[in-house]
Amino acid sequence: METPQYVAARVQRALAEDERTNELGIRVDVRGEQVYLRGQVSCSERRHQIENVARETAPGMRVHNEITLVEMLEPGEEEHL
Amino acid sequence: MRDLRIAAVADIHLGEDVRGHYRKRLEGIEHRADVLLVGGDLTRHGTLEEGRVVAGELRDLPVPVIAVLGNHDYHSDRDREIISVLRDAGIVVLDDEAAVLDLDGVRLGVAGGKGFGGGFAGKCASEFGEPETKAFVRHTRDIAERWRSALKSIEADHRIVLSHYSPVKDTLMGEPPEIYPFLGSYLLAEAADEQGADLVVHGHAHAGTEKGVTPGGIRVRNVALPVIKHAYSVYCLGEDC
Ligand SMILES: [Fe+2]
Ligand SMILES: [Fe+2]
Repeated sequence: METPQYVAARVQRALAEDERTNELGIRVDVRGEQVYLRGQVSCSERRHQIENVARETAPGMRVHNEITLVEMLEPGEEEHL
Repeated sequence: MRDLRIAAVADIHLGEDVRGHYRKRLEGIEHRADVLLVGGDLTRHGTLEEGRVVAGELRDLPVPVIAVLGNHDYHSDRDREIISVLRDAGIVVLDDEAAVLDLDGVRLGVAGGKGFGGGFAGKCASEFGEPETKAFVRHTRDIAERWRSALKSIEADHRIVLSHYSPVKDTLMGEPPEIYPFLGSYLLAEAADEQGADLVVHGHAHAGTEKGVTPGGIRVRNVALPVIKHAYSVYCLGEDC
């Protein structure tokens, strides 16, 4: 089995450099045969693309997509400085 | 003199796939703020097409818009063209320079640009060794130097520094400390502290926190969309604030 750290590094690099994703803020953790993806993106299409790229880069491993969508609420209270 | 209400956001990362979404959230901004600052990472891949989406979302707003680019906006080497497209849409783009706006009689000066990394005092890279290391550090130094001159040139009632990279560690809390040198540089804070400002606004650290302060006591706000979780934050500057 490949060393988990190198799998995590490869997936993270692919997410940053692959044209379909170019996402830098995704945390990639590998435990045994499991890959966990965490972070926030702005739409579900991007969330799926990240999962696709991760699956391609870590074949044979189970990818858990724990990425959430960025909330964008109506502007709230102003802060007085 | 009346107070100024500053709307600020960063890391909107727009693209064809989310066209129109952000614009909708800007409806009514004229009732909440006098100006909108956008702290870089306007796009995902830095393509000209994405730049055009950004220009479309931010153009013809009822309040002036001042923006800087982020690292994502440089990825496809179209940064100059993106700046032109945004400027053609009436957006003020700061590329290591300053702009002064007259907002109903109150003058607001904003200086800044993308910024860059290098790390924070005591734990940062220095101009030593390989040319690659020196070039990295020199890039940030040159930027900080241009910000000094930009700030010095401002004659206004309020001054704000607008950046993509962070000037302090405070607003990076939540990010892995190993990557701090890629998230910002104390040299940016040093320039602001030396010349004086009321506020520094930045983005880039999606997992960071909103509030911090420079060593010289200037308030710092990380307005990355995933951090503020609102379409924008509003900061009020003035005597009554
Ligand atoms: Fe970003
Ligand atoms: Fe960024």
